[in-house]
Amino acid sequence: MAELTLEVIALPEFETQASMENGSISVRLRGSADLAARKPLESLLHGVHSESQRLKARRVVIDLTELEFMNSSCFKSFVTWIEEVQNLDAGAQYRITFISNPATHWQRRSLKALSCFAADLITLES
Amino acid sequence: MDGSPKGHAAYFEMSFYPNVELVSTVRRFVLNAYQRLFLDPEIADQVALATHELLENAVKYSQDDVTHFRVDVVRHQDRGEVIITTKNRANADDVRNLEQNITELRGSDDPFAFYQQKMREAARREHSGLGLARVRAEAEMEMTCEMSGELVVIHARGTYPMRHHDG
Repeated sequence: MAELTLEVIALPEFETQASMENGSISVRLRGSADLAARKPLESLLHGVHSESQRLKARRVVIDLTELEFMNSSCFKSFVTWIEEVQNLDAGAQYRITFISNPATHWQRRSLKALSCFAADLITLES
Repeated sequence: MDGSPKGHAAYFEMSFYPNVELVSTVRRFVLNAYQRLFLDPEIADQVALATHELLENAVKYSQDDVTHFRVDVVRHQDRGEVIITTKNRANADDVRNLEQNITELRGSDDPFAFYQQKMREAARREHSGLGLARVRAEAEMEMTCEMSGELVVIHARGTYPMRHHDG
């Protein structure tokens, strides 16, 4: 079985982990996603998109439960990625689930904005 | 609060060298202050998010290595008006773009619909350009700007329920 190949981000204030199980890719974000994280995050999401197609993943789970903050530049990286998924043929699209932390209050409105941007693709869980 | 300007529940101001890595440190500091002032922890998070976005913009575009930043919280009975002010020098192109962005922002009646429109535009370009629309939609703050040559002053204002005042 093909293995997931994704770079890991390990910045002083922001890091990620990724895994694949039962046809789903999971990516866990931890720390503060600010300007220093923008380029690595953009690259990671590009990799997630490529790997999702290569491995025919049905779902990508983005776990934000340990994400303290995300600035608008990093938020934009998600917007670009989601639009790339929207642009795939229906049969090639995969679902995206965001897992939020109810105690990290900014996530509620930011994720609402993302889910409205692509209501047919995105599921929110907490 | 002794010696405070009339009606102020709190204010703080800083001037700092534009190191973007300091912005998250400042956000954590102001979040702690907002959590003490506002009734709803979600409001504290939203205003901290607004502070981060505005400060990051100011630092990113600062031309002369100095960014000034001030937050005023003015009590009006059980509500508090937050005014975040950033001041920096920027180049002529950035000043012009900022002025256009704020005019466009203030011309839209629906902050959330405007935010969605900006997200669609941002998806296809390199830079984000989402910060101000995010502040308006998520933190429910209105923005104005003053330009004087290279000097840019941004004010963001929002009013929220405050904690009970014992003093």
